[in-house]
Amino acid sequence: MIMVRAIIRPEKTDEVLAALMYAGFPAVTKMDVYGRGKQRGMKIGEVTYDELPKEMIFTVVSESDKQLVVETIMKAARTGSKGAFGDGKIFVSDVEEVYTVSSGRKETASEPVSA
Amino acid sequence: MKEILAVIRMNKMNETKRALADAGIASITARKVMGRGVGKVDYLLLQGAQAGFEEAINQLGPGPKLIPKRMLTIVVPDEFAASAVETIIKVNQTGSPGDGKVFVMPVKDSIRVRTGETGDTALDEIEMVA
Repeated sequence: MIMVRAIIRPEKTDEVLAALMYAGFPAVTKMDVYGRGKQRGMKIGEVTYDELPKEMIFTVVSESDKQLVVETIMKAARTGSKGAFGDGKIFVSDVEEVYTVSSGRKETASEPVSA
Repeated sequence: MKEILAVIRMNKMNETKRALADAGIASITARKVMGRGVGKVDYLLLQGAQAGFEEAINQLGPGPKLIPKRMLTIVVPDEFAASAVETIIKVNQTGSPGDGKVFVMPVKDSIRVRTGETGDTALDEIEMVA
């Protein structure tokens, strides 16, 4: 299984979550984060803002769904037709084991589970 | 080294902390997060909404509904991963949906900022408390 972590614009969160729901990935977790990218923040006049508010979305899916999840998030989180600086990043990492607390069961990649 | 990432109920936090401390795992990082799980999803309703039926769209409501949860991050040496997962599951299990998920992920390295130690020695010593 893999964990997809996406850092996106806060105003795009609802759209991304709705897109994931429609694509068949209801289970996600989100948290507020602050950060900057390779543009070193935003310079407005004399002031540089380098701790921009973003939202981080986690979802754990089976390896075969990686492409679909990444594309769904990317499509929903992009602003404008070509995208713009600050739209975010998506990271994919390995998850070795997944357990559901309510049943105590160890989940396997063949079943459609995520969180 | 393994990173254990657990999403649990808010009101189970104290019990979980106590149980983990008793199991010798004292160091944890916790965060407030919002999330939703696989439960309570009516795929028929979703299909209906996607096909454009008014009734289905109205039932879905205006935006995604998220539930507040606690996310715990614990980094432990390989041999303690299983007992940590077991402890978390035992304390948090009520049997109903919404109890949460536990993920186990590999960690390449960890470094203690104070001394610069790396690897397993950088992690807190795990002591068994009677």
